[in-house]
Amino acid sequence: MTSGAARYFAMAQKELLELVRSFKLLWVPLVFVLLGIMQPVSMYYMPLILEKAGNMPVGSVIEIPMPLGAEVLAQTLQQFGTLGLLVLVLAGMGTVSAERNSGAAALILVKPVSSFSYIASKWTSLLLLAWGSLTAGYLSSWYYTSLLIGEVDASRVLGSLLVYGLWLSFALALTLLFSTLLRSPAAAAFSALGASAALSLLAGVFPKQAGWLPGSLSGFAYQIASSGSAGSDRFGWSLACTAAAIAGSLLLAGQSLKRSASVD
Amino acid sequence: MSVPLLEVNGLSKTFGSVQAVGGIDFLICEGRCVALLGPNGAGKTTTIRIIAGLLKQSAGTVGFVDGDHVGTGGNRAMIGYLPQAPSFYNWMTGLEYVVYAGRLCGLPRSHAVSRAKELLERVGLNAAAKRRIGSYSGGMKQRLGLAQALVHRPKLLVLDEPVSALDPIGRREVLELLQELKRETTVLFSTHVLPDAEELCDDVIIINKGAIALQGNIAEIRSRYRQPVIELELERDEPSLKWADAFAERHRSGTNVSSQTAGLIYDVSRQGASVRFSVTEVDAAREQLLGELAAEKVRVSRLQVGYTSLEDLFMKVVSL
Repeated sequence: MTSGAARYFAMAQKELLELVRSFKLLWVPLVFVLLGIMQPVSMYYMPLILEKAGNMPVGSVIEIPMPLGAEVLAQTLQQFGTLGLLVLVLAGMGTVSAERNSGAAALILVKPVSSFSYIASKWTSLLLLAWGSLTAGYLSSWYYTSLLIGEVDASRVLGSLLVYGLWLSFALALTLLFSTLLRSPAAAAFSALGASAALSLLAGVFPKQAGWLPGSLSGFAYQIASSGSAGSDRFGWSLACTAAAIAGSLLLAGQSLKRSASVD
Repeated sequence: MSVPLLEVNGLSKTFGSVQAVGGIDFLICEGRCVALLGPNGAGKTTTIRIIAGLLKQSAGTVGFVDGDHVGTGGNRAMIGYLPQAPSFYNWMTGLEYVVYAGRLCGLPRSHAVSRAKELLERVGLNAAAKRRIGSYSGGMKQRLGLAQALVHRPKLLVLDEPVSALDPIGRREVLELLQELKRETTVLFSTHVLPDAEELCDDVIIINKGAIALQGNIAEIRSRYRQPVIELELERDEPSLKWADAFAERHRSGTNVSSQTAGLIYDVSRQGASVRFSVTEVDAAREQLLGELAAEKVRVSRLQVGYTSLEDLFMKVVSL
């Protein structure tokens, strides 16, 4: 093992330990599991809920067709896209800026370590948090959907999970970048959420022109979950573009950290 | 003659339109303990941070001397750095942090663990090694900072105001530790507290407004700039104080009673009821003064003949 890799592993290990000690590795997946379970459960009990809660006249008959299991999973992903993404970004917003503001980063970066392995270790822990939470939440949603509503193909679940995971990874790369560029964690969270929302909106409003942007990934994930295929020739472009954008964000973060390591 | 270790050449740094450090040169020799002394805002921290590699200089070079060759950059493996108020990860234990620091410096895990234990023992933290850093006191954090800076056996230990933020007890602890450490490695530390510098270091570099005001061996400086002074302690009565002011005034305007006094005494300063005369020749000046004191019926409670301290020199140099 080269010394650079050894240092990266030491830092990644520290990041994981921090995830555990700060209980992020507990409550973020918990939020995803809750979100994941709530969707099939609330769809299942929707008629009952309406009957009990709505101001319906006595004797009115409510007839709601039970959705397909695949649709429920797609809706779960939409939940992850709002609340889940918010929680992930909030958990990651201070990942670099908080350490720089406190001065802890200066004490680390003065050691013979590269700013890129520092960023890479942060990225590793964020990825682990995102993929772990998403998988836990999505699988529990799948389980409850198959119990209450109907079976869904494993291939659809896996495909949409991977595509959606890539979307979350992209959003977290943005969070990491903004956390490096901006001093304030809140500003980083706001910028990352704003940029993700703007990209999603762009891809939603102009599916033809902007379909290759990372913002269209969440839409593709819903498509895969509900119909089994992305159904667009721009899907591949979008994957490639996202991967490139993630790599670009990380490099930019490392470069900017290298140049302004003094700020603490 | 000692071997040069670090050479700083024409170092300057500007932040926007403000020049924090304006072209300083110095040489640190192996095994010496060097104090970078200066008032607040003199550019000490900026200099230290450039040497530690946390800040890029606007001009000039910092390099380790290897034989005749002066290296540039890539100093980080040779330097152990401790900032003024080190900030650690509060959720880690002291031992975990030092092990982590060791691994970041390229030590294999098992090595890092044994080295960390050894160092924590050394800085007197072995009882607290398994406690979270969040519960440490200021002095303990500073000692932990020393341990993490020493983990890779650096050639040069760079400390920024190591004791300024501590209470007297913590200060004592850290100073004693530094007293031991300086026997093993080269130390460069910045301070604005003169007694700390006098207590610890072999060489001083006094900087003011981003430029070197004075540098050299501390004992040499002390003897070279040592000047005789006569200190008068007056009773706090009106006529005596008036006399002191009048004397100082006459001295400034150069209309002293005897033209002889003007040459003997070259500086007069009064602080409360004590007056200081910087003189060229003690005996003659004393005679003159005593004569005048008797004639003016000045009430003197104490007269002392001594020499300027390093502090006087420091004050003089930085107030230029």
